[in-house]
Amino acid sequence: MLGFGADRLRADMNRLLALLFHQGVLDEQFLQLQQLQDETSPNFVSEVVNIYFHESEKLLRNLRGLLSDRELSDYKKMGIHLNQFMGSSSSIGAKRVRNVCVAFRAASEQNNRVGCLRALEMLEHEYCYLKNRLHELFQMEQQRVMAAGVRYPMQN
Amino acid sequence: MATVQKLHATSLSTTASSYGSCKVDTASADQFPAGLRVLVVDDDTTCLRILEQMLRKCMYLVTTCSQATIALDLLRESRGSFDVVISDVYMPDMDGFKLLEHVGLEMDLPVIMMSSDARTSAVMKGIKHGACDYLIKPVRLEELKNIWQHVVRKKWNENKEHEQSGSAEENDRHKRGGDDADYASSINEGTDGSWKAQKKRRDAKDDEDECELESDDPCASKKPRVVWSVELHQQFVSAVNQLGIDKAVPKRILELMNVPGLTRENVASHLQKFRLYLKRLSGVAQQQGGISSSFCGPVDSNAKLGSLGRLDIQALAASGQIPPQTLAALQAELLGRPTGGLVLPAMDQPVLLQASLQGPKCIPVERGVAFGQPLIKCQSSIGKQFPQSNISVEDIPSGFGTWPPNSLGTVGTPGNFGGLNTQNNNMLMQILQQQQQQQGVLPEPSHPINVQPSCLVVPSQSSTSYQAGSSTVPLNQSSTFNSSAIIDYSLLSSQPNNVSMGIGQVIDGGLKSTNVHNGYIIPASISPSASSCAVQADNCTSWQVRNSAVSFNTASQLPELVPNACEIQRSYDTKAAPLPYQGPGRNLGFVGKGDRVKQELNLDFVDNAKIQCLFFLGAMGLQIPRRLSCDDWLQIVERTL
Repeated sequence: MLGFGADRLRADMNRLLALLFHQGVLDEQFLQLQQLQDETSPNFVSEVVNIYFHESEKLLRNLRGLLSDRELSDYKKMGIHLNQFMGSSSSIGAKRVRNVCVAFRAASEQNNRVGCLRALEMLEHEYCYLKNRLHELFQMEQQRVMAAGVRYPMQN
Repeated sequence: MATVQKLHATSLSTTASSYGSCKVDTASADQFPAGLRVLVVDDDTTCLRILEQMLRKCMYLVTTCSQATIALDLLRESRGSFDVVISDVYMPDMDGFKLLEHVGLEMDLPVIMMSSDARTSAVMKGIKHGACDYLIKPVRLEELKNIWQHVVRKKWNENKEHEQSGSAEENDRHKRGGDDADYASSINEGTDGSWKAQKKRRDAKDDEDECELESDDPCASKKPRVVWSVELHQQFVSAVNQLGIDKAVPKRILELMNVPGLTRENVASHLQKFRLYLKRLSGVAQQQGGISSSFCGPVDSNAKLGSLGRLDIQALAASGQIPPQTLAALQAELLGRPTGGLVLPAMDQPVLLQASLQGPKCIPVERGVAFGQPLIKCQSSIGKQFPQSNISVEDIPSGFGTWPPNSLGTVGTPGNFGGLNTQNNNMLMQILQQQQQQQGVLPEPSHPINVQPSCLVVPSQSSTSYQAGSSTVPLNQSSTFNSSAIIDYSLLSSQPNNVSMGIGQVIDGGLKSTNVHNGYIIPASISPSASSCAVQADNCTSWQVRNSAVSFNTASQLPELVPNACEIQRSYDTKAAPLPYQGPGRNLGFVGKGDRVKQELNLDFVDNAKIQCLFFLGAMGLQIPRRLSCDDWLQIVERTL
């Protein structure tokens, strides 16, 4: 019975992943991450993703701060933050987030404050969506492992 | 901050272990690529962690560092404990380029730059500062696997310098060769296609009248391989013409060519290939004697052909009708593989066939007809006849319809000819007309001849370069990525590892670097067994019909992808069908996989490649015959994970 649950969780996970790929939220780089996970680093993916979340939130806060200054927005600094955000997002396969960063960077290079604000909103939105779904995924994974773990002793 | 500190601490410990292991097994440290000691510097913790893991997977000894200043100290304190440095460009405490300069000056280690900024200017800056390579984020495992080449290359170049301090010229050539390779390697994603073309043109200029000796293996005992560049071949051809095809012996050809560094053996083997090619043409001619008679009639004297001799396929390029890349492909085929079969763009095929129609007739008439030249000579002859016999020219395409598919060993399926429409015919005529007007113009062909052996991608072999399609070992991305990845359908079947995985990546790179025509519509006429995919030439004349490989330009990558996708589709359809969740009965299938997620993902690399191909297609928003629905994705994911 529990094994049944594990399988269902697995199916759900797969479905979620498929959805995310289909939506373009994730791209194949995420698969690369999954491949890097092995016995020596069994939690690699969640580890990296958590680092990513941590860093990204810092970046987003910084960006928000830079843009809130109505007098003089430091676009150059924004560009630097964005570069980092782009790099990390593309490295974990967060395609949509990365694309918004690209647009954001373009706006910042033109010193377009309005454009930057809009881009920031979109960025925050995309990031939140990604974060939620990935959390969901990891939760399911945890549950599945627990459920599967219970089953296996019986299997033998 | 805490994470950063922690990582720094970890990095130190890694260093310690790497030092320890270095001392213990110096022998293995010398065996590239395993045991390569890499120092990674990046302020982005995410990327740092990912890189670390990837490098570990490559069996390299990794040390990570999040601050440039610390990295520099590390390098200074323990000289000789690292083989290569990978550094991010934008870092808070020190500019990556500064670090690059320091390392280059003080320690003379190869430094690889890394950034998410893929703009040409940024990449150029990196190269100017002396970076061995410039990786664009997201960095992929394949790219990292190849970084050992930079280390070796640098070492060998230094050795060469010492050995051959006298012959500076050769040094320059080697160094340039090395640099060029460096430029080309891994600088793919986002790099301007035109930038590469410029570089190649420069190369071509540099190599005029020189026999370009490329050493595959810097080891002195191996003879450097001669690459028959266009110019070199021209010289060969004119030498043969002068001597007469019957009397042309390698020794005399060599003398006439007067190219330093060329040996009699090189000439002999090339001559052999040339002769085979001519034989093939004449064999073809006999079959189509009827059609070509009308053309060869007016063909005059040796003198005339001789004057046409200067015309070349390059002139055709100059006409602008055939994009340089296709011509290069054409040339490469002609030069490199007369026996391997010429695979030509659908558009060019009429041209070639026309030529071949005429060629064989010409040959009996004129012994002096040279290798590359028959094509153009004959065309020019045809062109000259234009005013007189328009009809006959137009007949050609229809004539092609009956052309036996493998007469030249080249022509695609007869279906290709069916695909020829008036558009192609008109273009053909334009080409021929322009041909008349232009003489001896020698535009720089894009230089891929040296870099892209345009051979078939065959499953059992794997390749050192994408373009080469897979003849040797899996993807070596340091080799020039000309955005002409070749994907073979047979790759879908069973493939060693990286080849497949990389391909997906390469496609992406290629796609990014070209302004691919979005919304390119691929007709649905894809047959499972045949590997040709009819491509509508409306959008871009450089789109070519392919029959499983040959080097082609960036634009033509997509049609290759699509058949792949369709093949994938099909395979998935049949195999994925039983997958839909059914209930307990299905548990068996899953149980086995149940523990997969926890452990290393046992991705079948082939599957991964398929998925990657699909992802890219999906990402590019291409319309493929069967659009992947969410369910399709689900099936794919289930199959993978």
